[in-house]
This record gives sequence, C-alpha cells and structure tokens, in this order.
Amino acid sequence: MQFTIFQDSRKGARKINQDRVAYSYSRDALLLVCADGMGGHFGGEIAAQIVVRLLVERFQADARPVLKNPLLFLQDTMLRAHSALGHYSRQLNLMESPRTTCVACVVQHSHAYWVHVGDSRLYLIRDGRVIIQTRDHSKVQYLVDQGVITREEAGTHPDRNKIYSCLGGSLDPVIDLSRRTPILSGDVIVLCSDGVWSQVHADEFCEVAAHPAMLAEAPKLMAEAERRGGAEGDNLSTILMRWGPELSDEAGTTTTITETMPAGQFATQVDRPMTITQRKDGVRELTDDEIEQAISEIQATIRRYGK
Amino acid sequence: MAGPINQALPPSYQLLNYRVDKQISRGGFSIVYRAFDEHGNTVAIKEYLPSALVLRTEGDLVRATSAENLNSFRYGMKCFFEEGRALAKINHPNVVRVLNFFRANETVYMVMRYERGRTLQQQIQYKPESLTERFLRRVFTQLLTGLREVHTHKLLHLDIKPANVYLRQDGTPVLLDFGAARQTLQVTSQSRFAPMYTPGFAAPEQYRDPDRLGPWTDCYGIGASLFACLATFAPQAADSRIEEDHLVSAKKIWGGNYSDDLLEVIDWCLKLDPLERPQSVFALQKALREAPPEKKRRSLVGLMRAKLFADFKLKRGSL
Repeated sequence: MQFTIFQDSRKGARKINQDRVAYSYSRDALLLVCADGMGGHFGGEIAAQIVVRLLVERFQADARPVLKNPLLFLQDTMLRAHSALGHYSRQLNLMESPRTTCVACVVQHSHAYWVHVGDSRLYLIRDGRVIIQTRDHSKVQYLVDQGVITREEAGTHPDRNKIYSCLGGSLDPVIDLSRRTPILSGDVIVLCSDGVWSQVHADEFCEVAAHPAMLAEAPKLMAEAERRGGAEGDNLSTILMRWGPELSDEAGTTTTITETMPAGQFATQVDRPMTITQRKDGVRELTDDEIEQAISEIQATIRRYGK
Repeated sequence: MAGPINQALPPSYQLLNYRVDKQISRGGFSIVYRAFDEHGNTVAIKEYLPSALVLRTEGDLVRATSAENLNSFRYGMKCFFEEGRALAKINHPNVVRVLNFFRANETVYMVMRYERGRTLQQQIQYKPESLTERFLRRVFTQLLTGLREVHTHKLLHLDIKPANVYLRQDGTPVLLDFGAARQTLQVTSQSRFAPMYTPGFAAPEQYRDPDRLGPWTDCYGIGASLFACLATFAPQAADSRIEEDHLVSAKKIWGGNYSDDLLEVIDWCLKLDPLERPQSVFALQKALREAPPEKKRRSLVGLMRAKLFADFKLKRGSL
C-alpha cells in the first residue's frame, strides 16, 4: 500500500476539544477514524476517545494483515462501542451516557469500506470532485431529503446541530455502511467532523486533494475553517488520505509505503497520546506463527514474480 | 579470535529437497552453501546464522547461546525476512534471484539462483588489466539497470562494493547480498543489528546521518567501486574523510588514462555532501552512458601513478 495522509484536530473557539481522530495501518490494511464527542451531554470527549480506541484496538487484533470482512468489522465495532459507552455510564452511575458521532473507513486490497453514525462525514474525491459522500443522520438532512428545506437553508436552520443517531445514546444507533468501493491511485478520502464541513465547502477539499503539496495545503484550509468559525467556532477535525504514490516528483518522503512492513506490525497515529496495546518497544520475539506467515508470504511473492 | 565457531552443514547434507554440496562463503550473519535441487540444478542457499547469537557445534540444529540471545536471534530473523521479501519481488537479470525461502533446523534459509563466474573484487585482484574503460562502462551501466530496479521497489542496497558484484561467465554483472538493504522509510536502530558498513564504500551519511539515506547513498558505493577498479584498493573511508579528506580526485590521478567524463562521474559520486552527488541512478546511468566509450588501456605508468598518489597519505583499505 502507498498513501499520503494528513490528520489534524483543533479546538476552535471551544474550551476543550471533544473530537478525536486516528489512523492505523498494517502492511496491507489501513483504518481511518474520526469521532465528534457530543457537547451538551456529559463526557463527549470520553465517548469519542473510547470509540476511537476500541476501533484501533480491534483493528490491530483482526487485521492480520487484512480484515476478513471489513464491513462486518465496522458494523460490529460500532455496536460494541455503543454498548461499551452504556456500560461505562452504568459503571460510573452517570445520569446519561457520553455520546459521540463516528465515521470510520477501512482500505485494503484497493477497496474502501466505511461506516458512519451521526453527522461526521466521509467524502470520496476522484478527479477533482466528490463522487461519494455520506448522508448525515441529522434533522436538517432529513428535511432536505423530504424537500422541506433546501440545502442552503440547512446551513442556517436552527436545528442544524440535531442528529438522530449517535453512539452511546439511549436509542440504538442507526449505522450506515458503505458498499465495497474500489479506489484508484490519486483518489482522496476525507473524514471530518461537522466543525469542518460546516465551514468548508466540498470544492475546497477537492482543491486541496488535487494539490501536489496536499500536506502543505491542508493545514491552511484548517486554519481558514477555524477562522471562519469565529468566536462560536466548533472543534474541527479532518483526515485526508490520498491513495497511491505521491503526485510530485520529489523523493517519497511523505508517502507511506507499507510493503516491506513485517507481518503483524502496526503503525498508529492518534491526535493525542493513547496507549493502544501493551506491546513493549524494542526487541520483541517473533512468534512461530509470525515466522510461518512471513515465510509463506515470501514464497507467494516469489511465485508471483517468478516468471 | 577465540571462541567456538558455528559448524557448517556437512557435504551431502539433505536440506529439504536440496542436497548441500559445500560451503561457498561465510559472514557474521550467515553461511552460503552451494547445493543441488531434486532436478540436479545448482542453487546457492543462504543460512541465517548470526555467529554472535547462536551456536551449532555439532549436528544440524541451531541453538541460541542464551535466552536473551534467542530474542535477538528471532529479531534478526526479521531483517533476514526483509531481505527475502524485498528480493522476492525483483526479477531482473542484474539482481540476484530468490527461488525459495523456508524454515528448517530452527533457523531460516533463502535459496538463490546459482551464478557461475567471479566477483568484481576477484577480477580486480587477479585480472586488473581487464578493467578497461569499455569494460567498466558496460559492466556498470548494466549494474545500474539492476540497481534502478531495486530503487524502484523503494529499497536501498547500502553495501555496494566489488565483493558484492558478481560477474557471470558471459561478463554480465549481478548485484548480490542484500543483507544490509533497508526499506527507505524504515530505519531501525537496534544496536545488535546496527547497520553494517564497509569502510571505503559506505557513504558518510551511513555513519552518522541515517535519516539522509537515499539513492545517492548507493551512488557513493558505485563511485567507490569504480574508484577501486582503477586503484585496485578502496578509497579513503568516508568517516575519516569527514575528519580530514585525503581523497585525491580520480581525474587528477588517472587523467589521460581514462576519459575525463568517466573520471568526473567517479568524483561526482564520491562527493561527501549527498546533495552534490547524482540524486538518482538514472542520472548517474545517463552520465555514464553519454560519451562513447573509448578504448583506453590502463598503462603501467598510470598504475604506478595511481599507487604513488594513493599511498601518499592514504592507508591502504582492504576491498
């Protein structure tokens, strides 16, 4: 796998950042996740943290080196996260459980699979335009779909922040799964919280996505979104992942290439410190299984490139 | 050096479907055998056997010398896998071809195509007169085609030297021994498996600036190898060049005996600053190919001059 990735999470004008973003990859599978902990309820940031952590942990347990069934994995993890949040609030005798939205995406074998709950979004950008985007579980989206209000009115509607599905609420979440979607070299997948998409037009993402220096342009867009949010600005979180080799000709210093990662190894980036597993750094013994796996993979590669 | 030595597998030892013929070479991390497969084809088999960590005094099973070393042994196996994994993808006439990879005797083995011929180092030692400009241009141009393929897979060789360049009987070169190879983006700093470098052929950034490794690092090795072909010994080691650079430019030493632009290519590759070297094999190959090869033999006078210049302040490095 080769990809270039940008990740950022900002507080905006709020006192705390209740958004969480992370990505993790094995040699052959990549996970992206963005969760927006809900303000107005207790512990939104805790909910977001729990969900992101659960996704990353389960991903690392199951992606060996790919997930057997990514959509099932995503759906199952969302359900588990939802019940984990309920469990958490019962344990601490909270009046209500912490809540969060979540959008998560798995890429493996050049196909993308995603899930979302609430109004955190995913855009798939190809050739400079959005070809697929998730449909928010929000009141205004519902009204737009019913033809009651227009898309423009949705941006200023008084209920624009109301969502009808989230993880950790008293109701079971609505979980939307994507199809198995082929992605091409140059495609960009964007995950973002509403603090970003409410300020940034999809076209602006497309511009950044098409820019050879995406990693330099993305922070500017984030800064601009934060500026537009002003004194009422929400938390802002974004992950941009461009699939395939770098667009510019410079040596591949920013592209992540996973092909020679040892089987069973993961690299993870979260927006704040988080202990993912108990694995010690440094010398770690290979297990017999890992040795067998490495050998059979090398043999398969030899056969594939043999003639 | 005192201490027990790992026993090589004995002749006629049956290793899966391969019959061991004899040991060809031995390094700190491995033993290479010549062997035959069940169809009678000759192959080279590399056995992972880091002598500091494991011991085989008799029989065939490899045992770690301590529990802690067992961990390191298994960790080092990862590097061996990386070499196998990287090479498995490369099927190029100028890069050694991996045929199989398996586990036995508590260690792992890599089976490679067996090539008949000699190393460039042996050529330098035994037939220095054969190293004409035309020969060097042809061999290195072909070698660079293989190296380009390696770089295309985002892999650096990091130990290019005449001893790792094999010349087949038909004169075509094969790049060998990817034991030092690293994926460009992952530099591990395990002290036990710290990168090894060969003095004279390793670039300065290999000693002290692993973040700056790149295609230009292998270009340094190419330049140093070319230098060694002319001089019959390695150039001054890069770490000591950083302290005090005594390296005399190839152009100054061999001017008149070889074309200026071959000598300029060598000097270009041997720049201490990575940015001043060819930035890609392609650029280097282009420069090497550009001028039509002239038929110039190295004269005895040229050889003497080379020795004079080189012995002037350099210690003689071994190849």
